Amino acid sequence: MKNVAKLFLAVMVLLAFTAPVVFGGGAAEPTVEATNPTGNPWTDGQDLSGTEVNIFGAFVDEDASRFRTAMAPFIEETGINVVYEGSGDFESLITVRTEGGDPPDIAAFPQPGLMRDLHSQGYILNVLDWFDMSFLEQQYNPGWIADSMVDDEVAGVWYRASVKSLVWYPPRVFAAQGYEIPETWDELLALSDQMVADGFTPWSIAIESAGATGWVATDWLEDIMLRIHPPEVYDDWVAGDLGFDSPEFREALDIMLEIWFNDDYVLGGTSSILTVPFGDGPAPLVTDPPQALMHRQASFITGFMPDGTDIGPDGDVNFFYLPPIDPAMGSPVLTAGDIMSPMRDRPEIRAVLRYLAHGESTRGWLEQGGFVAPHEDASLDWYPGLDRGYAEILLNADVVRFDASDLMPGVVGAGSFWTGMVDIVSGEDIDSVLAEIDESFPR
Amino acid sequence: MAQNTATQQQEHAEGLAARESELRHAAGARGSILGSMKAKRIIGGIPVRIFVIVILAIWTLPTMGLLVSSFRTQTAIQQSGWWVGLFNFTNFEQWTLANYDRVLTADGMAGAFFNSILITLPATVIPITMAAFAAYAVSWMKFPGRQFLFVMIVGLLIVPLQMALIPVLRVYTANNISGTFVGMWLAHTGFGLPLATYIMYGYISGIPKSILESAYADGATPWMLFTRLILPLSVPAIASFAIFQFLWVWNDLLVALVFFGTRRPIVTTRLAELVGSRGQSWHVLTSGAFVTMIVPLIIFFSMQRYFVRGMMAGSVKG
Repeated sequence: MKNVAKLFLAVMVLLAFTAPVVFGGGAAEPTVEATNPTGNPWTDGQDLSGTEVNIFGAFVDEDASRFRTAMAPFIEETGINVVYEGSGDFESLITVRTEGGDPPDIAAFPQPGLMRDLHSQGYILNVLDWFDMSFLEQQYNPGWIADSMVDDEVAGVWYRASVKSLVWYPPRVFAAQGYEIPETWDELLALSDQMVADGFTPWSIAIESAGATGWVATDWLEDIMLRIHPPEVYDDWVAGDLGFDSPEFREALDIMLEIWFNDDYVLGGTSSILTVPFGDGPAPLVTDPPQALMHRQASFITGFMPDGTDIGPDGDVNFFYLPPIDPAMGSPVLTAGDIMSPMRDRPEIRAVLRYLAHGESTRGWLEQGGFVAPHEDASLDWYPGLDRGYAEILLNADVVRFDASDLMPGVVGAGSFWTGMVDIVSGEDIDSVLAEIDESFPR
Repeated sequence: MAQNTATQQQEHAEGLAARESELRHAAGARGSILGSMKAKRIIGGIPVRIFVIVILAIWTLPTMGLLVSSFRTQTAIQQSGWWVGLFNFTNFEQWTLANYDRVLTADGMAGAFFNSILITLPATVIPITMAAFAAYAVSWMKFPGRQFLFVMIVGLLIVPLQMALIPVLRVYTANNISGTFVGMWLAHTGFGLPLATYIMYGYISGIPKSILESAYADGATPWMLFTRLILPLSVPAIASFAIFQFLWVWNDLLVALVFFGTRRPIVTTRLAELVGSRGQSWHVLTSGAFVTMIVPLIIFFSMQRYFVRGMMAGSVKG
């Protein structure tokens, strides 16, 4: 018995020392010998090979391995080892790690709101201390730069964009019924009526998302806000200068509820909106026969579609651009994205950030799909079929604005705005709900 | 003669049959007495049985649903509940092993299992060892401040570990042990120690004083007392706490995310990653749950004997 225990301990100790070497696992740490570590556009002619930069972000699994692929050319050229670590609990962990004195070199924030919080606590460095504004202006659309600014500082460079203003539909059914892709909001409503007359249900709307239920509704409203008001109104609304209980916001809400509160339009009726998980939203489009014909959701929803769904103009589902409402507002696009913010300062970190600010750094991911680059110098030719469509929508946009709920203070953008929308859909008095949201806005 | 023999045989056969029926009758009577007693017991036990069955059903139903779902395709899971799948058992289109395939063949899953074991075993052994020493000292060695020390340890049970995350991480960062195995062992040791000490104290302080005194009179040193008497006697308590601690560390995600990170995968962090950046692959959680359950189940069944005994550890003592 004693010997067994001793043997056991000995094995454990042995394992403890060998395992980290043998089973580094997942994040393989390649030690790259760069042939010429100074002959690259990123390191300012310095030899930084052998150094390491760690990036912490919210994308995991497939996305993480795609990101590593995108970093590989940089690692090869410079010899700087870029180690990416991802976690689904990024939002909580980044705070804990930062306050615990263990921040990553670069953090990839999925929402600028959280980045602003950490910036206000002084944890995020100013990119303008490293690069000139003219360089950033050459790399990004002004809308993106504006969204990366906190006060007078630039708190990061945009790396990934996602396009939200999309409507998914089954193209074969559209072709069989002779439906045209709507170019205006009125056409969209007319098409919905036509579908009802033909015995179809036009919309699949699903917003259940556990603790985050409500964000789908905020996306709808943001898209509508951009389509009926100038971008300045949208910015005021984000900043809290324009309340929720304002004629401008109420107008948007009315337009949305015209669809949502119409039991003929919505699959399962208005009451099912709150109970169906958002991930199940596109499924009714691909059943045979389809249970619903349109679904408004961002580009990432393809990941939730049932296995084997063929996406494309001739496939099971395709997408069209959510049409404009007021022609005077042009074609606005609602976006979201990941921003890379520096949290420490070393020459190799600057080199990595310079790389991330170039379209070239996204190429490895772009080519594998599921990615839209916000960079001006990312070529459309790099995109595989479907993604090029998103990129074109983004490129053709007259106005690009970031998801408002991600920009608003957390208590509203990830709190009262969400719950308020749930309350409205479940039939509570609109006046009092809007007043409540306004009250919760920290000013 | 031949006829005679035949009659005799017949008589014999009749006699046999009669005796047999007699016997059978007797047996039947005895059987019916037994039967009625049994029936009474059964009838008396019916409410209890129904209660037990209902509780069992409620308890296992979610697990059952999870098990059924883990064999269904993503499309099937999204379109209908697992009970629908069970009623249409013959619809073979919905059944698949893909979820298990996805989990078992995921990148780094083998390494994750290994890392998990590597964290869990020392993180179980270290706190128990320390707790046994501490419990012995607190219950049998006389030194000033003993009571106060014990109250402090028990008091620590109330402190939620979430409160300690940031301060402990600061200490780790300053000493360069964040993200290491040693850091994980220490963290789990620290978080497990109060409960371990408390349980071990309950058991060790209950060992009859006379045994220890006689051993002491025979010239045993405190160290010998501990290794030769206390430790062997407290095996049930050690085993029961070992199971608790093992399960807790094995299933832990929070401590691992904060102190270990996800650069080196462990089972829980890897599984959380498999779900995808936006939770789009949540259906793999069904099979993932059963895959991760394997190791705790092995532990539980192989130590079940101690577990039942150990549950009563220290419970008799007031």
